[in-house]
Amino acid sequence: MYKNNKQLFVEKADTIQSFLLAVYQFLKIDYPKFYKMDNLSKLGFLASEVLLKEQNLNFAPEEIGLVLTNANASLDADIKYFQSTKQMASPALFVYTLPNIVMGEICIRNKFKGENSFFVFEDFNADFLVNYVSDLFNNNIYELCICGWIDVVQEDYTAALFLVSNNKAAEALLFTKENMNKLFKSAATK
Amino acid sequence: MSSKVYIAGLGIISAIGNNVAECFAAMENEQAGMNNITYLKTIHANEIPVAEVKLSNDALALKTGLSNKISRTALLSLLAAKEAINDASINIHDCRTGFISANTVGGIDKTENFFEAHFKYNAQTNLHDIINHECGKITELVADKLNINAYTTTISTACSSSANSIMLAARLIKANMLDVAVAGGVDALTKFTLNGFNTLLILDKEYCKPFDENRNGLNLGEGAGYVVLVSEKVASTLKKEMYCELKGYANANDAYHQTASSPDGKGSYLAMQKALHAANLKTTDIDYINLHGTGTNNNDLAEGTAIERLFKPAYPKMSSTKSYTGHTLGASGGIEAVFSALAIKHKIIYPNLRLQTPIKDFPFSAEKKLLKNQPVNNVLSNSFGFGGNCSSLIFSKI
Repeated sequence: MYKNNKQLFVEKADTIQSFLLAVYQFLKIDYPKFYKMDNLSKLGFLASEVLLKEQNLNFAPEEIGLVLTNANASLDADIKYFQSTKQMASPALFVYTLPNIVMGEICIRNKFKGENSFFVFEDFNADFLVNYVSDLFNNNIYELCICGWIDVVQEDYTAALFLVSNNKAAEALLFTKENMNKLFKSAATK
Repeated sequence: MSSKVYIAGLGIISAIGNNVAECFAAMENEQAGMNNITYLKTIHANEIPVAEVKLSNDALALKTGLSNKISRTALLSLLAAKEAINDASINIHDCRTGFISANTVGGIDKTENFFEAHFKYNAQTNLHDIINHECGKITELVADKLNINAYTTTISTACSSSANSIMLAARLIKANMLDVAVAGGVDALTKFTLNGFNTLLILDKEYCKPFDENRNGLNLGEGAGYVVLVSEKVASTLKKEMYCELKGYANANDAYHQTASSPDGKGSYLAMQKALHAANLKTTDIDYINLHGTGTNNNDLAEGTAIERLFKPAYPKMSSTKSYTGHTLGASGGIEAVFSALAIKHKIIYPNLRLQTPIKDFPFSAEKKLLKNQPVNNVLSNSFGFGGNCSSLIFSKI
């Protein structure tokens, strides 16, 4: 787990379940809803917790938006729900069979009420994110945006989130395709 | 840059008709589309009513030229998208045309049957049945048939999906990335969604009664609805009259629960308020609200509470056309965009079928009767989805 290129936590876990739990415990979060989430939501939730930790979010809830992407939508939850239907269809699994539920979970946790979109691409698409998010900033749709990639299929998972704002913070990088690709690549290969 | 975006064409298929003319006639004749399940193979066939499109996959394949083996989602989508393009009478290859289509089930209708057969008969199943499983493949299949390649994308944000695809299309035109966009969405009925909504205990075993005190859940439906959005420049070259302008749109998150709406409808309130702001309109300018109105206790209460807070003390006329079409999930925003444009064109307010006792908590009621010759200048259309995803669109007479 990395933040701003700094390693925060390493865990050689056998399964995604135990890795996500280890991160949850490492971050010392007290949020029992975490245990009810599917893996996509857990991964997105934890990534957003790391991203937003010690951030001073001085904006109204409706000024903060989310634009997330991935390759496999909610396939991971779909498979688990489908398996449950052989015994008895589980409502607790069914509610996670949509990719945008992870955004709902992040919004619930942080009380964000701004615009949400979720897009599915074969690969991380920095070009699209920069164009789309910049257009929304240019049209004053929001003041702060969390964007990036949250993807899970069974034991294969990657999360990379970016916090984008109009105000230049001391350590901030320019919101460009090149910078995003560089960060994504360095995160995904670590 | 195009500062305005117009609606030049409409296409629809739903339980009440296979095209715009049939659907509109059913709306005028107050004929709902719910019935016992006919085409979907499920053990719930005689127990849960649904609003199915009244065509088999074979019949849809004949009408579209696609294979009858392909997902019903793609078949429905192509039929409605083609109608919308023909109606707009634009040569879509003369300009930068995009196809922005929403759906939530993708090719699950094929996948769920594939697996049953696969585990029973092992290797004797056809892998072609699962290659179009994901939502984006449905859009690609249809875009290929329509010969649209400038821009295609798929939006999947639950029940607000196709409202969001119309919103994205408008933005792409305004940002001068497209001249024309075919935007909306589709969903076919599947066991996956039927069983899922059934486990949430929100399916009415009778025909649904949105915005009624005694409402008891939703009826699932299927279908597709598309609008052809055009820039000002394209509109000026067309001989036909535009249906209306897409004047405002907004999306907000309710940030309350994965599936339930907040009691005060915060997300719905924000979506409607921000759409009005974007359209530069006051609440009193809205003549008709096409409600999300699923018929579940929770949605109608949250949506009504948000309307009361925003519109008090003067309420526009309103109704849920899901009382005709059922809840078509990823298609509902597109289908209801078509109904909104038709309401403006025909100066008509649709009734909220089967409404007997308006919700007692609210100082307003949905319309019980069809109203003709109404001043319908601005229509607000709501679409709210799981994940707290709330969208509102505003269609305005030109």
